[in-house]
Amino acid sequence: MSGKVKIMERKGKDLYERLYLVEVFKGMAVTFGHFISNFLDNSKLYVRHYPEQKPEITARWRGRHRLTKHEDGTMKCVACFMCQTNCPAKCIMIEAGERVDGRTEKMPVRFDIDLLECIYCGYCVEACPMDAIRMDTGIFAVTGSDRQSFVMGLDALLATPGAFTEEEYKKGGA
Amino acid sequence: MAEKVKLFVNGQEVEVEAGKNLIDAFGAIGIEIPHLCYHPALGADGNCRMCLVGIEDGRPPLVPACKTKVAEGMKVQLDAEKIKKIQRDIMELELINHPIDCPICDQAGECKLQDYYMKYDGQPSRMTVKPVLKAKKMDFGCGVVHDQERCVLCARCVRFTRLITKTGELGIVNRTDAARVNIFPGRPLNNRYALNVVDLCPVGAMTSRDFRFKQRAWFLTKSPSICHGCSKGCNIFIDHNREKYKDDVIYRYRPRLNEKVNGYFMCDEGRMTYKLENDNRLGTPRVNGREAGFDEAIESVRRAVSEAKKAVVLISPNASLEQMFAAQQFAAAINAPVSGYSDGYVKAGDGDDFLIKDDKSANRASFALLGIDDSKTAFEAALNGADLLLSFDNDLSRSLSGDALTQLLADTKLIMVASSQTDCVAKAAVAVPVASYSEDAGSLVNCDGRLQSYEVAVVKNQPAKSLIEVLHLCGGEIKSNQEARAGLQAAVAVLKDIDLEQIPAEGIALTESEVAHVAA
Amino acid sequence: MSQLDILLLVLRVAFGAFVPLCFIAVLVWMERRGAAFFQDRSGPNRANICGFRAGGLVQNLADAVKLITKEDIIPDHIKHKFYFVLAPVIVFCIALVSFAAVPFADALIINGKEYLMQAIPTDLGILWFLALAGFAVYGIILAGWSSHNKYGVLGGLRAAAQVISYEIPMGLAIISALVVYGTVNLTEIAQYQGQLLFGFIPMWGVVLQPLGAIIFIVAAFAEANRTPFDLAEGESELVAGFHVEYSSMKFGMFFMGEYVAMFTSSAIIVTLYFGGYQIPWFSTETLVNNARAITVLLMLLTPAFAWVFALWMAKNNKSHYDRPNDPRVREAQIYTKILWGVVAALEIVLFIYLITVSGGVADRILVTLLQIVTFLVKTTLMCFVYVWVRWTLPRFRYDQLQKLGWQTLLPLSLLNIFVTSAIVVALS
Repeated sequence: MSGKVKIMERKGKDLYERLYLVEVFKGMAVTFGHFISNFLDNSKLYVRHYPEQKPEITARWRGRHRLTKHEDGTMKCVACFMCQTNCPAKCIMIEAGERVDGRTEKMPVRFDIDLLECIYCGYCVEACPMDAIRMDTGIFAVTGSDRQSFVMGLDALLATPGAFTEEEYKKGGA
Repeated sequence: MAEKVKLFVNGQEVEVEAGKNLIDAFGAIGIEIPHLCYHPALGADGNCRMCLVGIEDGRPPLVPACKTKVAEGMKVQLDAEKIKKIQRDIMELELINHPIDCPICDQAGECKLQDYYMKYDGQPSRMTVKPVLKAKKMDFGCGVVHDQERCVLCARCVRFTRLITKTGELGIVNRTDAARVNIFPGRPLNNRYALNVVDLCPVGAMTSRDFRFKQRAWFLTKSPSICHGCSKGCNIFIDHNREKYKDDVIYRYRPRLNEKVNGYFMCDEGRMTYKLENDNRLGTPRVNGREAGFDEAIESVRRAVSEAKKAVVLISPNASLEQMFAAQQFAAAINAPVSGYSDGYVKAGDGDDFLIKDDKSANRASFALLGIDDSKTAFEAALNGADLLLSFDNDLSRSLSGDALTQLLADTKLIMVASSQTDCVAKAAVAVPVASYSEDAGSLVNCDGRLQSYEVAVVKNQPAKSLIEVLHLCGGEIKSNQEARAGLQAAVAVLKDIDLEQIPAEGIALTESEVAHVAA
Repeated sequence: MSQLDILLLVLRVAFGAFVPLCFIAVLVWMERRGAAFFQDRSGPNRANICGFRAGGLVQNLADAVKLITKEDIIPDHIKHKFYFVLAPVIVFCIALVSFAAVPFADALIINGKEYLMQAIPTDLGILWFLALAGFAVYGIILAGWSSHNKYGVLGGLRAAAQVISYEIPMGLAIISALVVYGTVNLTEIAQYQGQLLFGFIPMWGVVLQPLGAIIFIVAAFAEANRTPFDLAEGESELVAGFHVEYSSMKFGMFFMGEYVAMFTSSAIIVTLYFGGYQIPWFSTETLVNNARAITVLLMLLTPAFAWVFALWMAKNNKSHYDRPNDPRVREAQIYTKILWGVVAALEIVLFIYLITVSGGVADRILVTLLQIVTFLVKTTLMCFVYVWVRWTLPRFRYDQLQKLGWQTLLPLSLLNIFVTSAIVVALS
């Protein structure tokens, strides 16, 4: 053993602590206090009865993605691939094409987000120069019966509405 | 070695090549002077003013680096505050009317304006008036799309059409805010090198319709290679990318600088040959018209070879030197005559005096090196009495008419080892897929007798075997490029003193060709 | 052998076999609910049958169904499939059988014949338990070894080393207890603890042998592979230790075996140190002699207890969020009705007993039943201590575990033997 050995100072050297048993009983007293108070009155448990009681989602909370639209209903996304470039999970797959709705030149013809691969880091939202992708749908539980159903396409992303007003969202620091 | 001069940059002594301007001379030793309008092939224009530098010898305080030749003892200032201010101001000027198109601009990622903004400017815009609006998405012809708003009026494209192609389709019309690059009414770009303006354009004003919106520049892997579009052997970058869950696909070819071959340019047809690498490839082997496993196909080739009374080996003029040698050795082993017959690869009268050649194959010059006869008479003589024709990626349907091919195949069994799906492959008894040049490495000899090499660029998800591997599986002696090169050095006198493993980037001239170097 | 003999034999064996099995469900539930309450959570509260969740007990049914219907995997790499299957059987059966020697009531005297209230009326007593507890670890070692998995082997090795280390202090602690009791027979040990010290302190083992009791309890925790001594599983470093390759009901056997072992060792601890089935200050003879008075007392106490329980249920068995027509309140009301029904039935039985058959054999049976209840209550409380400790103390590091066993418990238990022997010799 040639490695440098660092000797740590051990806490609890005195007999009282080394006896251990006393400390054990003290610890057990603490836990028993919790037990008995919960046992006699279980109304103060730190429990959310989830499916019935929904958690409160704030505007900054990163939920499922959506693509935003201009007021005239055309999509804001211009297929610049910033989100795809930034995505650490590589879950965004875009195909760009010629724009057909009269705005600028470029738009996505395919925009898939694989929610199974997504890690919900929100980098795509930060990278987007057009504020076209947001994670403000407030959807936190994504379920499906097969893998394919977790791939969100362009239409599904555009169809999902945001869960917050513009003011709330902006206040959240976006 | 070229003559050297010593001079001072920011007070530090450096040694650079004599006779060049400051941008080129400093660029060669890694000191960058920003410039937009200057291009080595197009000469100095001096209109962008981005390359202004200071010289402390009593001249005017600032001179354009592109127009200034290096001189012994010169004291050049690059980092003075006033130089930096000029660069900042020029950038600000350029960006006054520049649209924020970066998200939709194909140039983003390889745009000089972006690079210089990040490096020399980095300030928010002070403009309060609206930018001047100009025409966007203009069709300039030849697959060039022009965006006048993005243009910085460096006139590289204009100079290209005047100096290089000498067609002069482009010009700058109007002045000041209204100045813009345009074509003459009803006279779009009409030359075979037009897409070079896309590469020349330092910003995204010129984009290629073919590449438009296909990929972002930063996704592309840029692998050096050699164009197989004609016998010129232009040096290229193969820009390819493997998207998630997809195959490695080539998106474009770009010219790669080689002063001795193609300079900075390549032709439009050559650019588009990337499509042949992507599409219509032979994927699964076929035996007697039905799909078969690779091993089964190889087995049937071996059986056909062993059963044949007389076999003929036909080699493609696109094959690399190593592949040709391996095929030649294979033919010698099975006692078959070798032919390089490929008249159909030559398109007489198509070539010009710049880069395009009549011969649309990349390596016909190697036939002469290896003593392979590519004449029609020799091919017909070899076929006489033969009952098996082994074609190594030589598409006979290009050289022979349909009837002639059918007639030929009536009493001869055809085995195609091919990279793409052709008529000939469809008629072959056995078809074995093989790697194409973008997926393989090798050496080529171009029309001027210049030996160049290329490396593997694209790796497909299911890579095809290289021709040498296929030959080896069919019973050939040579297992790899290395073995073929060793054999070549022993067999070919011209190659004896050349290290085929380490061919320099500019290639090696095998014969002192009369054809002068391309003036780039 | 009379019919009575056979009946009692069947009853006692049935008791010894089924009570531990029933307690698996109770203990799993207690572990879950206990853990939750210790951690301010609510524990199992979802699984139900027609809205009845029985305070979470239904969750155990769901688990049982899950474990039974899961695919029973024997991985391909396992060479000794027989031992692989045998291991959980050993663990489970040994734990079950070691309860057989524990008396759950005082010897029942019917018609002058004495019946030992043990599943197997043997005199082996504590030796039986010691032998079998040492054997149970074979199952764990076998499981770890036959899993052919490094985690499994490490878990098995740890279990082996741990059992060796802690069986010694455990045995030594028992020796000092035996010096005091003067017998290995557990029924006699329990009877001994029915006496009173100085006339007012129950002569429980924990009073006579405080140090021995602590050593024995600690060692019993280690023998049962419970936290803080569950290094054989050590999920943070060994995934699941010895049962990492086990699935379905084979895993279920380990799981149940653990709880049976916990019940058994609780029963042993109670028998050795907490008076066994003895009700403090009320020896068997006292109880038999005052059967009528006790019955009346029971008739009074039962409704009082039921009333408190009903109040507690009404308070706690309700949904803690807005819910129209709260089904849990309705559930609690039905439970309350059932509770009062049971109480009424009990009252009637006791009343009938009081006016018809009191005196004689019936008194003895009543006292036996009372002692069984006492024994089970004590054992349940001891099991609760197991749960309590598990959710309070973190796991030992391996060197700490060995240090505690060899450097602390072993010398202490030796010291205890000398001191105990000296006092016993001095007093006799």
